[in-house]
Amino acid sequence: MNENIIEVKGLTKIYVDGNVLAVDDISFNIKKGEIFALLGPNGAGKTTTISMLATLLDVTKGSALVNGYDVKKESDKVRRSIGIVFQEPSLDNEMKGRENLELHGILYGMPKKQRREKIKEVLKLVDLEEKANIYTKNYSGGMKRRLEIARGLLHEPKVLFLDEPTLGLDPQTRRKIWEKIKELNQGDSEITILITTHYMEEADELANRICIMDHGKIIALDTSENLKKQISGDIIDIEFEKIEDHTKLPIIISSLKQLPNIKNISFGNSSQENMSLDMKLPPGINPEMIKMRMKEMMSDPKKLLKAFKKYPMASQMFLNAPFEIKKRISNLFTEDFIDQIPEGIKEEIIKIRKGELTESNQFSTPEISVSCENGSKCLSPIIQKINDNGLSIKSINMHQPKLEDVFLHFVGSAIREESSDRVKGIKSMIKMRQLRK
Amino acid sequence: MSDLNLLLKKNNFSVIWILAKRELFEFVRNKPRIITAIVQGIFFLLVFSAGFAFIGIRIQGISVDPRAFTASGIAAIMILFTGIFGGMSVLRDKMFGFMRELIVAPVNRRILMTGKTLGVALQTLIQVEIILCLGVAFGFFGYDVSLIWRLILVIPIAFLASVGIVGVGLTISTRIRDFQSFGLIQTFIVLPMFWLSGALFAFNNVPVPMQIAMMMNPFTYSVDLIRYVVLGVSFFPFWLDLIVMFAFGIIMIFLGAWSFNKMELS
Repeated sequence: MNENIIEVKGLTKIYVDGNVLAVDDISFNIKKGEIFALLGPNGAGKTTTISMLATLLDVTKGSALVNGYDVKKESDKVRRSIGIVFQEPSLDNEMKGRENLELHGILYGMPKKQRREKIKEVLKLVDLEEKANIYTKNYSGGMKRRLEIARGLLHEPKVLFLDEPTLGLDPQTRRKIWEKIKELNQGDSEITILITTHYMEEADELANRICIMDHGKIIALDTSENLKKQISGDIIDIEFEKIEDHTKLPIIISSLKQLPNIKNISFGNSSQENMSLDMKLPPGINPEMIKMRMKEMMSDPKKLLKAFKKYPMASQMFLNAPFEIKKRISNLFTEDFIDQIPEGIKEEIIKIRKGELTESNQFSTPEISVSCENGSKCLSPIIQKINDNGLSIKSINMHQPKLEDVFLHFVGSAIREESSDRVKGIKSMIKMRQLRK
Repeated sequence: MSDLNLLLKKNNFSVIWILAKRELFEFVRNKPRIITAIVQGIFFLLVFSAGFAFIGIRIQGISVDPRAFTASGIAAIMILFTGIFGGMSVLRDKMFGFMRELIVAPVNRRILMTGKTLGVALQTLIQVEIILCLGVAFGFFGYDVSLIWRLILVIPIAFLASVGIVGVGLTISTRIRDFQSFGLIQTFIVLPMFWLSGALFAFNNVPVPMQIAMMMNPFTYSVDLIRYVVLGVSFFPFWLDLIVMFAFGIIMIFLGAWSFNKMELS
């Protein structure tokens, strides 16, 4: 029952001319009848992976079996076992819809009778029976996509590869295509589907299992539910009314931690977290560099001023920074500099310098974010504990982590891992290959 | 041997045929293209034959009607234009993505290329025959019953000539990435092959350096042989024409197949 239709082991692709390590030693199995999604940002190596599985690209290292056939040695058999819908359109626009299918049938060696029947069948499946005799150049984007899916299914493949099947389509068309994909998977034929996408909701909606890729590596692989659990179960954001007695907060937190199912409690809500110094950096920026720069700036008010003026983000970061850092920065700006400080943060700095703003005021309306296994069960004990301690809640908000949170969680943290090691790795690998030749 | 086995597989025949049909359909269904071919043919024939009408042309000592001379030359030239740009339809397939569909299919690439070549070669035959029939209609070739079988005999000759030319087109189109290079190819390959082929100028009417250049142009021999079939006279012995055409065809088709095989889609 649970046999694997695709087995990938240590698959690696290096584009030698570009010195690019596109796919980096990935391994996964896909079970028969599964919908498996490769999710990742652009350039993560999804299409390269699919191209290697479809025998369109040579494998640099590692192995892959599709329907039991080796992609390196038995490419013809692999090709017969798969149907593929490419990321970019690949129809002949000068031919009619039906002719595109006819040609495909002949390419795959289908006898005439079987071809005719099957064409009828797939056209019906994608609701294009009436448009079959129109030139495909007159099709809409969604119709073209549907025809391509029909074409991919024509020769009854065991596995269907869909490379970004709904890229650039409107929401309604996308829904329709999702329905079709689900229909395919649920039919008697139990076709296995490997889909690549960078739409979180698409993977969430369709896939049994999701494999998150970035920089050619697998970052996470599990069902959508399990992936979401992996970050934190449910998240409850609690905002308190103004607190007079600040000693109460730590007491509350420690008592909340004793409740069952509570995983983690943090200050501030999850969305603000991103704005702190730990924020997600754009790819390609070395965090060590940033830290060094920051240290440098923290001791020189002139440089700091420059940064505030140049990067609006810097002011944001300042406002969200811990009080300790704010104070250090504020003390840096002596009277000579005060006038030059940008408006957004000037007031705050003056206040801190005058001693009007102290650490305790910062938490006048504190927020905590509680992540727990089962939010609805935790909710009432949490509220009770807070009330017992004599604090009142201003607002409370419970939500499930979205796949998007998961995605950003994994991909975001992976970006930080990027360092010179990776580049070195690629270079040494390419060198070794050249030496072998 | 393996190539022969490949050809003998029944499905490969259907693949070759459907791909050839695809090229043909694209030509036949494209009404503007057909109209262009006919009007362009009329234009070429009338203008050139009028312009060259008073030039004395003697081939192997035999005086030839200059209108018949240019008409047969223009017919041969159609092989060059249609063949190269037809072979370059690979580029169009590459750019519009259809090439992926072809190369992911469980079909040998040589089979794909054969189908493509056959299709374009058939296209060129239509073009050649259009020009020749127009020439007959204008009375350039005189009226003679033998013209019928001459027009039929042109078919295999033009086919052979176009195979080499399509090979040129294929080789080029697998190497370039966009249509911007079209101008370059026009200037550096198509036009020199055209002007130096003897299609418009008689070989013995031009200075020696140009004669040498013409002899180095492989297409000259195709023009010469077609003229031999249509008019019955030629500058070179027909066996030399045939040898050069075969050699050129084989070299170009192998070169085309080689670069088609090597082609990577990024």
